[in-house]
Amino acid sequence: MDILKDIFTLHLVLSTLRLATPIALIALGETFSERVGIIHVGVEGTAVLGGLVSALVAYFTGNAWLALIAAPLAGGLAGGLHAVWCIRFRANHVVSGIGINILVAGLALFITSSVWGWRGTSTYAPTLNIWYISCAALVIIIASQIFIFRTKWGLRLRVVGEKPEAADTAGINVHRTRYIYTILNGVLCGLAGAFFFNSVGRFTSGMVGGRGFIGIAAMVIGNYSPVGALGAALLFGFIDALQMRLQSFIPSQFSIMLPYLLTVLVLAFFIRRANVPAALGKHYIKQ
Amino acid sequence: MAIGPMFKRSVVLKEMGITLLSIALAFAIGTIIIWIAGFSVSAVFSNLWKGAFGGKLAIGQTLAKSTPIILTSLSFLIAFRCGLFNIGAEGQMYIGAMAAAVAGAYLRLPIVLHVLVCLTAGGLAGAFWGWIPGYLKAKRGVNEFVSTMMLSYVAIGFTDYLVAPRGPLHDDKYWANQTIRIAPSAVLPRILRPTQVSMALIVALFFVLLVWYYLYRTPAGYELRSVGLSPTVADYGGIRIKRKYILALSLAGLLAGLAGSGEVLGTHLRFIGRFSPGYGWDGIAGGLIARAHPIGAIFAALLMGALRAGGMQVQRSGAAPGDIAAVLQGLVIFFIIAPTLIRTLIRRRRR
Amino acid sequence: MSEFAVEMRGIVKRFPGVVANNDIDFDLKQGEIHGLLGENGAGKTVLMSILYGLYFPDEGQILIDGTAYSHYRPAQAIRLGIGMVHQHFMLVPRLTVAENIMLGQEPAKSGLFLDRETAIRKIEAFSEQYGLPIDPRARVEQLPVSEQQRIEIIKALYRGANTLILDEPTAVLTEQNVEHLAAAMRKLKEEGESTILITHKLREAIGMCDRITVLRKGTVVGTVNAQETSERELAEMMVGRDVVFTIRRSQAKGAPSPTLRVRDVDAKDDRGLPALKKVSLDLRKHEILGIAGVQGNGQAELAEALTGLRPIQSGTIALHDRRLAGKTARDFITAGIAHIPADRHLRGLVMDFSLRENAILGQHRSKPFSPHRFWQSPQAITGFTRDIIEAFGVRTPSAATLARNLSGGNQQRLIIGRELSKDPAVIIASQPTRGLDVGGIEYVHEQLLKMRDRGAAVLLISMDLDEILMVSDRIAVMYDGQIVAIKKPDETGRRELGELMLSGSSPRLQEQENQEA
Repeated sequence: MDILKDIFTLHLVLSTLRLATPIALIALGETFSERVGIIHVGVEGTAVLGGLVSALVAYFTGNAWLALIAAPLAGGLAGGLHAVWCIRFRANHVVSGIGINILVAGLALFITSSVWGWRGTSTYAPTLNIWYISCAALVIIIASQIFIFRTKWGLRLRVVGEKPEAADTAGINVHRTRYIYTILNGVLCGLAGAFFFNSVGRFTSGMVGGRGFIGIAAMVIGNYSPVGALGAALLFGFIDALQMRLQSFIPSQFSIMLPYLLTVLVLAFFIRRANVPAALGKHYIKQ
Repeated sequence: MAIGPMFKRSVVLKEMGITLLSIALAFAIGTIIIWIAGFSVSAVFSNLWKGAFGGKLAIGQTLAKSTPIILTSLSFLIAFRCGLFNIGAEGQMYIGAMAAAVAGAYLRLPIVLHVLVCLTAGGLAGAFWGWIPGYLKAKRGVNEFVSTMMLSYVAIGFTDYLVAPRGPLHDDKYWANQTIRIAPSAVLPRILRPTQVSMALIVALFFVLLVWYYLYRTPAGYELRSVGLSPTVADYGGIRIKRKYILALSLAGLLAGLAGSGEVLGTHLRFIGRFSPGYGWDGIAGGLIARAHPIGAIFAALLMGALRAGGMQVQRSGAAPGDIAAVLQGLVIFFIIAPTLIRTLIRRRRR
Repeated sequence: MSEFAVEMRGIVKRFPGVVANNDIDFDLKQGEIHGLLGENGAGKTVLMSILYGLYFPDEGQILIDGTAYSHYRPAQAIRLGIGMVHQHFMLVPRLTVAENIMLGQEPAKSGLFLDRETAIRKIEAFSEQYGLPIDPRARVEQLPVSEQQRIEIIKALYRGANTLILDEPTAVLTEQNVEHLAAAMRKLKEEGESTILITHKLREAIGMCDRITVLRKGTVVGTVNAQETSERELAEMMVGRDVVFTIRRSQAKGAPSPTLRVRDVDAKDDRGLPALKKVSLDLRKHEILGIAGVQGNGQAELAEALTGLRPIQSGTIALHDRRLAGKTARDFITAGIAHIPADRHLRGLVMDFSLRENAILGQHRSKPFSPHRFWQSPQAITGFTRDIIEAFGVRTPSAATLARNLSGGNQQRLIIGRELSKDPAVIIASQPTRGLDVGGIEYVHEQLLKMRDRGAAVLLISMDLDEILMVSDRIAVMYDGQIVAIKKPDETGRRELGELMLSGSSPRLQEQENQEA
């Protein structure tokens, strides 16, 4: 019992909220892009890019707020690249996302070595209190829930992912809609990356550590709704927080792999409701 | 004349042309990046070449690095041919390597047999690690993309634990995270001394042919490819899709497991924690650059291996960080995956 | 206001390899119903897609209400009062009727939030005015096809259409619903709407339209007044030769013992709802059994259940004495059941496989093609493919060509060739002529009859009642997952079958039941 008391503390609740934030942001971004039909598995790399750009801007300007703005911009750029690849050049969505992950992984190593002289690590740079980002994330998620299900833009984006030809014949520009929300996904992932940077105080190439993919899992479990994604992200945040508490009790290699193992288990035992957008991953080519 | 994708000359030439143009474009952009970053373009490229192909040692280095990548590329592409994304080759490789190391260190067998047993153990262990996401995909609808990735982290953590100090397989003679050395009878002999190239390269090339034959000359491979191109039509043709999913990911795991076994039996002669510089991820790149063709995997892996070997030389020379090679690799993939990009560019030029 | 709602002059539209529209002139008077008649591929839908702004014409001029417009997109076409009801409905199944209709012109509360109630009131007003009953709050996926069509028409009206384009609206309707549609079109005319009706059915064109323009191979053959023409004249204009309306066929020999016995089969659809309810039927040697029914009454599930593609909940399926229920699709194939699927892309062909690879699908593990578990014989496969190409007239550059690069008709020939060359005991043909031109349809009918005469038992599922009446030896009507009646073609007619398809019982039967009660 004493052990349990040591584990379940207020600190655990707070770290759950903290660790859930980037996962929720990524899951939200993925919700937007998959709702318009674009699969984006490059969210992992986009978050890494966000962290890297945060570190660069904070290091060179010394201004943490500027760094916070730069990261989503860079993320949006990466999202735009993915959108061009998927829409204009009809790349396989998953493959293009993999491409982003690999490209960013290479860039991160190259840039850290070039700028700071260490492979994959930056120096410490000015940061912000991460609770700003967490609170903003919460507001964004709730606003997104209303936006998707209660506004005309939400209706339109849902139709684009379900039946693009129906949107097209209603005078809605399918491609433009897809660009917008894929870029938005990148922006949110960039913000998640900024969160990682601000929570550690510097950039390390492993700091996202698969949480982009866990964000995708959260999106699946959240069944394509922002609030659902938040719920799933809290679950994964809790697992992550628990893992950190457990490090004092079991070998660290075990506790480190715990979130990944549990992600697979949660996906395996999660009962699927079918909200998968009907046109997900398909290229829209007018007949 | 037998018509197989190996022999469709015009198609192959066209695909190769597009691939080469993509690589050229990637290097052009890479040049700009090097220039912007303020490094000497000529020094970087000359060292890249020197490290990859400048002499017997360099070529040996390239071949040694290419060996596991050939197998991880095959791992990615065999799943890809079945419509699945195996991005967990890194983890499957670790599990396979561990199994091969244990079989190599703790079994006492005659010379050739021991190697075969170790390879089998490594392959099967990797196959098991691939079977899990395959099973979850078939029975529970779990997205294999996420699960293979997650299981990769689990595999790396788990093998790390096994060889860490106080871990059950740790070699207590050393502080490093590693197992004891494998028996001499389990060693895959070096074939290009003094370089690190071992018989593992021959094993890898053998599996290239095997995978090619399997995909294009057996009914099972035919079924696997039809599931990859259209699961609903395959279903109509009496093919059990879910079984194919499990099979494809198990085979992917097997090939990745062999990659790890080759590293243990031919290069390190023991399991070393986190021995891989990312051969599993390189396999994704290799599979894509090969356009999911087994023969192409040889050349794609050579490119990856050359970039790794060349990158090390760039680093040593101080011309630029060696990771420029990783950037080039990322760019190559990025241009290769947009099938219409190069065609669009060519068409623009013609106008 | 111009005399013409729409004038199209000298429209040319080219696609790679085809001229879909070649110098077409077309006009639509205010308040008229104008039929656009032609075979599949004649260019009707392309012409109307140009009018609706989905394509830009390569040449030509479009006047809408007397004003010329060029290079406009659907958004502007909608603003100009043009509405199109597509053959494949542009509805999102998971959304409500109201959400589907208001898409693109959503009323908003405080400029931000969707105002569903206002939309619903507006929709109900249109529904009332034009006599098109719909429930704006229902989800589209739960509604029958005829109601979905009404939704599409109201959607166009909601967007302010005064010119309506209806693309093959009767293809999915029963006889009775066609009459409802005709009544609705007359009502629309009274309210001042102009309508273009795209169709390839002569009878409907004459019955529903004021004028009819006939297209053939992308050009206009002529425009006639509906009252001054005949089916025969239109048919000649459409096809360019005398059309054989009935096919000569021998009498069915109809063996007494069934080849395939189906008893009390229950199955669920993709959503897990009952789709087949205690279906029983016999397929006999030398006989074609036609399945008539409105789309979505279990025909697709029946075809899948009889080919092992859909698990059945209960009941038995037996080929001669071999029990097949619960077996895999491969067992059905090896037992001798061939399947011509309704959807070539979804079921029939791996589009990125070559003809060779497609030709052996389903038989790829059998002896000549795979002499050994680990060895396929390329020579045997190529030879077999060449045989199919020759025997079934598949037009293709080579056996190694990708299926994707064949025309629809040639893809269908490849499928039919593959399935029939298995020398099957049973053939399940699901909408085998969908999307084919007259020549192609005739060819498919001939092949089915030939197989019947050679002793196969054929099940023909079709939405086209004419086809069912023409080819079948017996006709089973499906309604709500059940076989509600089995008729001989010469002892029934469109009227009675239509009643059965619509309500599961015919008026005569009801009368009898009433008398008995």
